[in-house]
Amino acid sequence: MTVARAEGLVFEYPGPVRALDGVDLEVGASELVVVCGPNGSGKSTLLRLLGGLLEPARGRVLLGDAPLASLPLGERARRIGVVPQTLRTLPDVSVENFTLAGRYAHIDRWRGPREEDRRAVASALVATEADEFAPRPMTTLSGGQRQRVLVARALAGEASLLLVDEPTTGLDPEHQVRIMQLLAELTGGGRSAVVVTHDLNLASQFADAVCLLRDGRVAARGPPREVLRPEVLVPVYGEHLHFGTAPDGRPIVVPWAARP
Amino acid sequence: MTRARPVVAARTLGVTLVAALPLLVLLSVRLGVTGVLGLDETLAGVGAAFGAGAPLEGQVQTIVELRLWHALTAAGVGGALGLAGVLIQGLFRNGLAAPSIIGVTGGATLGATAAILLLSGYGPAWLAVAADVHEPALASLRSAGLLTFLVPAFGFVGAVAVVLLVAALSSRSGRFSVPTLLLTGIAVNTCIAGVLSLVSSLLLDDWDVSRAIFAWTFGTLADRSGWHVVTVWTGLAAAAAVIPFVAWELDLLAGGEEDATSLGVDVRRVRFLCIGAAALAAASAVAVAGQIAFLGLVVPHLLRLLTGTGHRALLALSVPGGAVFLLGVELLNRALLAEHALRPGVVMSLVGGVFFVVLLALNRREVDQW
Repeated sequence: MTVARAEGLVFEYPGPVRALDGVDLEVGASELVVVCGPNGSGKSTLLRLLGGLLEPARGRVLLGDAPLASLPLGERARRIGVVPQTLRTLPDVSVENFTLAGRYAHIDRWRGPREEDRRAVASALVATEADEFAPRPMTTLSGGQRQRVLVARALAGEASLLLVDEPTTGLDPEHQVRIMQLLAELTGGGRSAVVVTHDLNLASQFADAVCLLRDGRVAARGPPREVLRPEVLVPVYGEHLHFGTAPDGRPIVVPWAARP
Repeated sequence: MTRARPVVAARTLGVTLVAALPLLVLLSVRLGVTGVLGLDETLAGVGAAFGAGAPLEGQVQTIVELRLWHALTAAGVGGALGLAGVLIQGLFRNGLAAPSIIGVTGGATLGATAAILLLSGYGPAWLAVAADVHEPALASLRSAGLLTFLVPAFGFVGAVAVVLLVAALSSRSGRFSVPTLLLTGIAVNTCIAGVLSLVSSLLLDDWDVSRAIFAWTFGTLADRSGWHVVTVWTGLAAAAAVIPFVAWELDLLAGGEEDATSLGVDVRRVRFLCIGAAALAAASAVAVAGQIAFLGLVVPHLLRLLTGTGHRALLALSVPGGAVFLLGVELLNRALLAEHALRPGVVMSLVGGVFFVVLLALNRREVDQW
């Protein structure tokens, strides 16, 4: 079953710069799809189009059977949870109240948060192991904690599709693995995720499918083992790559320049 | 949303401000340049002004009413500018934005001036209520009731037009750049000041009209009538009606417009409501008291310092907070300077200008990164 589908997405930034040039993408139920590609290949643009935050010039996004463009904002927010890479400014609120914002589309303006909203927030905080610092102000959190809370907020909305933008940027290896483990655990039971990342090794370990973009087009897609091969990656990223194999047989790709 | 580190609980601050308001109004009625009134006298006079009980003898009732309208107008103007300040700062997500800095107050002044000109015979003949009335032209306008309606209406149009202009000039694909916003505000304010100077210099011979325009540019709270009170409080009430529709939304906008949209916030509607309400509040204030700069900058900052950054509390407290602030400033102004009391616009420019510089200094690190 398909949770979301992008069909022939074309998007241009003013300039005009064609960021996406006919991208198709399918996200199955309980699937974790990693989107990767060089800088400027259109990864974040694709994610924003999937979330309805940008309007495609051509093509469309389907959420289940419904065109995303036909869904009202509230309905979109209830079905799609977006985890941004960073926020412009961190609001001066507690972790718990920040997470409650994920329930915005569920909460009645006049009645305020109800028991079910509190429950959703509490279980999202537990799932992301952010419950231990729930009363703390957002501004006091470390990078890794902040990232978990951003995931918790998206989770609190009980959406069936999570769109996650570069969740591991700026995190140490331990926290990178933990946040990807978390996303992999959360994917399942009908919930799917699209994760944009530069980290091919995390994609190798955690993705069900990898979608490789190049210059706004899909260069390759498939299971990590099929995409993360020299024949596929070198034409896209260039030659400064070294390929290896992890103990469990999964491909490893690291940036590499032979030194004289 | 609750705030992370409030100094004073929002509820406590709200109760304090709301309780302080009538006390300050009474104090303003008791104390005045023309002498101090007894408490009993004051209460009886205020009651009579609202139709309860017999009016006081002789000129005392007139004095009470003049001071009462002055106080209630000041409270309304303070509340309206405080509310406009929180709305504008919340929407532009920047504490250096304020109705006067980005041109809302200037736009309202320009609109109000245009209305005065039209009504005084400088426009189509059918609008010139006062063209053939040489007994102080504007006094007769006031009795015509048109002044109280047209001036705020024109002020509103001017305020909205300027906000839209400034917003359009300082945003690219819906994102605001703060330095551009502030610089655009400076440019627009300078242009408005230029136009107002031009108008005043052309009208130097028309004493009544240039005096009225002068009053608007520097702000005045003297000689207010019950109509002024009704005008400003009606505008304020209408503007405050948007609070429940934008309070949480402004908190969610802290993370950026795209983030808020992904949570389900209709950012365009929030922007429309905030700009409309801020323009209405600022225009009502300008229409009854002229241009009082910086109040919309100072009040939100004081409230944030006291009670945190949650907009539900900030918006609700901005009205009593602004009212108490301007009333307090007016009282101090009269207590310290007596008959030499300065125009409120002048006081706020002096206080607010310094405040703005201090604010810049305190936020030096952030500002340097722009």
